Amino acid sequence: MHDRPMRTDLKAAKSPAELAQLIEAIAASQDCAAFAALFDHFAPRLKGFLMRAGAPAAGAEELAQEALLTVWRKAAQFDRSRAGAAAWIFTIARNLRIDGARRAQRGKLLDIEATEEADPPAPPDALLLASEREQRVHAALEHLSEDQMCVVRLSFFEGKPHADIATELALPLGTVKSRIRLAMNRLRELLGDLT
Amino acid sequence: MSRHHPKDTTLADYAAGTLGEGRSLVVAAHLAMCGQCHEFVSALEEAGGQLLDRVEAVAMSEGASARALERVAGLAVEPKAVRPSRQIVWRAEQDKLLGYDLGPWRWISPGLHYRAVNVPQGDTRVFMLKAVPGLKIPAHKHTGTELTCVLKGAFIHESGRYAAGDCDDADQEHEHNPVIDEGEECVCLVAMQGELQFTGFFGRMIQPFIRI
Repeated sequence: MHDRPMRTDLKAAKSPAELAQLIEAIAASQDCAAFAALFDHFAPRLKGFLMRAGAPAAGAEELAQEALLTVWRKAAQFDRSRAGAAAWIFTIARNLRIDGARRAQRGKLLDIEATEEADPPAPPDALLLASEREQRVHAALEHLSEDQMCVVRLSFFEGKPHADIATELALPLGTVKSRIRLAMNRLRELLGDLT
Repeated sequence: MSRHHPKDTTLADYAAGTLGEGRSLVVAAHLAMCGQCHEFVSALEEAGGQLLDRVEAVAMSEGASARALERVAGLAVEPKAVRPSRQIVWRAEQDKLLGYDLGPWRWISPGLHYRAVNVPQGDTRVFMLKAVPGLKIPAHKHTGTELTCVLKGAFIHESGRYAAGDCDDADQEHEHNPVIDEGEECVCLVAMQGELQFTGFFGRMIQPFIRI
């Protein structure tokens, strides 16, 4: 929407279902061609994402590599009914971004499913199918104003501290904080309304 | 179903991976008991995925893809793990909470016990409180934020009744005067920044003994 797509990449753009199939092919048969296709799709995006989040180019490249290797190792954990391919890979990159000492434990905390008891399975009361969620989130993002989208991207997606966002947007810290709060409330509302 | 939830910004920081470790632990406990917030966090992760698809891509260096293929050639795909449930159980005798070591229960005043949760990082103290039914917790406020998740039982304060799964996401300068609900003991998980200050007479009396 506000980010320009990389022009050369448009031809290679894949649908969520195709991306999910690639991960499933790795899980099923250690499919190297599927891995190469996933790499070509996600590695440059992850590198772009991590650089926007403040990583130097070399570090972003290394982390993007590491994220894709994690995709390979964890491919069997992927479940398209729970999360889309891009969302799943976003969470992998996010967990890797958290500093090393905290990594193992934080990764575990952030993996909402990984709690201590193996049974009994709890009913997924309010949980949607990933495909349904994908459409709902897509619509909600379209409904955010440009200002709201901007702070959601900076604070949530890029994980920038509020003070850095204030500097970047040349706004008082208080304004940034309230704008983030309003944008998140709006997002929550939109997600609820689009049932 | 929980009725009191963390603030949307707290959940967003959690989903972004920028929330501190101690507060993340309390949020994780809440999510295990609240499908609604769990879904909101999943939606934020989906939003992260969609933003990732829109981000301006930056070309990888020459040969990056070939190097990755070489590395995965010798790398096993891990077998599918049994997916654990979202259930978290709390037992008096457990000595770990989501992988974190728990200290021993310590008596702090009649009907009130405390145990530390060993979270190594940062400026946030994490602990569990256990209180008997009907107990009035001394009036207090705190100089930083306080995030609480009820694990068992319930307490009541000026903002309502907080039962198992409910979360109280309080700012500083917010005065609390909680009472434990009748029926069963109440166990809470708390992540607190700043200092706890008791304001009533009894509170000031016990303050020196409480190093929480």
